[in-house]
Amino acid sequence: MKAIKGVLFTCDAAVKQILLSMNEKNSFIIEDLDDYHVVIKADEEWRIRTELENELEKNTYNLEA
Amino acid sequence: MSSSTLFKATVNEHLENLPKPIQSKLYEAPATCLSIYRLLPPMAKFFIMSMLFHDKPVAYKDLERICKPHTKKLQFEAFNRLKALHLIDEDQGRSHLKLHPIFKQNFRDCLTGSQASNAFGNLCTTADKHQVDVKFLDQFASQKWETILHFMVGTELGVDPSKSVLSLLKLGGLMEGPGTSPRNLKITNEGFQFLLQDVNAQIWTFLLQYLNLTQDLNMDPVDVLNFIFILGSLELGKSYTVSSLSATQVSMLADLKDYGLIYQRSDSSSRFYPTRLATTLTSESAALRSPSAAMEHALQSTTTAEDGDDASAIQNSVSAGIASAQGTVIIETNFKIYAYTNSPLEIAVLNLFVNLKIRFSNMVCGQITRESIRHALLNGITADQIIRFLETHAHPQMRLLAKEKLDKKIEFDTSHNINTAGGAPQSQVYGENGTVAQHKLEVLPPTVVDQIKLWQLELDRIQTFEGYLFKDFQNQQEYDYLSNYAQEIGVLIWGDKVKKKFFVTPEGMDQVAIFANRK
Repeated sequence: MKAIKGVLFTCDAAVKQILLSMNEKNSFIIEDLDDYHVVIKADEEWRIRTELENELEKNTYNLEA
Repeated sequence: MSSSTLFKATVNEHLENLPKPIQSKLYEAPATCLSIYRLLPPMAKFFIMSMLFHDKPVAYKDLERICKPHTKKLQFEAFNRLKALHLIDEDQGRSHLKLHPIFKQNFRDCLTGSQASNAFGNLCTTADKHQVDVKFLDQFASQKWETILHFMVGTELGVDPSKSVLSLLKLGGLMEGPGTSPRNLKITNEGFQFLLQDVNAQIWTFLLQYLNLTQDLNMDPVDVLNFIFILGSLELGKSYTVSSLSATQVSMLADLKDYGLIYQRSDSSSRFYPTRLATTLTSESAALRSPSAAMEHALQSTTTAEDGDDASAIQNSVSAGIASAQGTVIIETNFKIYAYTNSPLEIAVLNLFVNLKIRFSNMVCGQITRESIRHALLNGITADQIIRFLETHAHPQMRLLAKEKLDKKIEFDTSHNINTAGGAPQSQVYGENGTVAQHKLEVLPPTVVDQIKLWQLELDRIQTFEGYLFKDFQNQQEYDYLSNYAQEIGVLIWGDKVKKKFFVTPEGMDQVAIFANRK
């Protein structure tokens, strides 16, 4: 048995696919658990969050801008 | 996620973050021991009681044995609280516990009535020439406290709060402005969050700011905190002598009078009365409220009359201020909002989730956008709260229009003998339309309502948890054994029986590791 420090991402299937494609460029996933859960390196959380945010933001239209 | 770091500093967190020596000094006062005990969760109280009259350390196992097995999570939380306050100490092997010796002694004295006679303030034995009753005290307290709140929203009352209150408002970041003149002070965002809190939380916010201030003035924080806790255990309607207080505490009296926590006829008077604001400081009912609950409160736009009977009457008068500005908001299907109001409070509440653009003397215009709603959602306000706020504050014209539409629908249905209901559901049924059950009065444009809800769903796409992944178990038994334990103490976030992996919170990591080694 062993324990690994990390951050658990709970997301929908679409977001998970984005995460997987991001992982190909720059590996950060420690463990791919199932369709809705992945464990990533703890110190990468913020970078992943912002990158993911940017990726999702591409699909929205902003009125204020 | 809380809206503001300001209100995270509740009294409990403040106490937990104090360094251990200060905590130990605090426990020297019996009144403080009692107050801290009052603030603990029930399970923690129970543990203290079972350990209190034991002279030897108590085994973890024995404490666990008294509790039902499914309460592991509560036990875990209780132990964590007690440890943070340093009320309990573990021995080397982490198998036995003992109470903080000073706390133990003083709390015993409290319960058995053998504490020093002035531990809970000295009652005045002589009759007061200017005797005051509870009703007067309540009036005094609510008048003082209201003056502060009204000053914050800019109500013209003619009376300004005292200098010490003003400097506290500024220091706490509740108001800001150049110079020292009270006229220049403007309320800040934090200030509005503050207004939406319940009165007990407000007072604690104030007192904690006061504590920070006293440290700069070289007043002993332990002395100050002790006095605050003593206040919490005084009896309403009784007067207490000033002479038994320390010099620091005497100097606090004037400030506390300004907040309405105590009443003293004149500064040189030899006695003081605690008000209801003071005596309910550490009472159990005094639950602290989250910003979302505060918004909830703002929604209950009841115009309760101030009877001064209850500390909450003060709170009611504030919400009444919001309620009086009812029925002012118009929302169009293009997400534009017009609010016919000049109440700073209502504009501020709108500003929480609307991108306000133009302000006229009697109205504001703005736009609901994805960004503005996201901003509110990130601040801990829910989509339902926003929708309900808009519904309760909708302009009468909106209601009229909605009613007309509803009538038309019903008429159409009856004349064609069909039922077209079943469109977008509204969050709340409005009006007394008992005629046709299916159609609902849609005060707000359904597109706006649905979109706000969709924006909320969008935010929930990703959730992250820090923690530890357990894997590579030797067999199914080992996995079951540990994951069940993690589940019981409430630290398990995710687990998969087949893959034999599970994920626990960082706090749970130690516990699970110890448990794994123990067997």
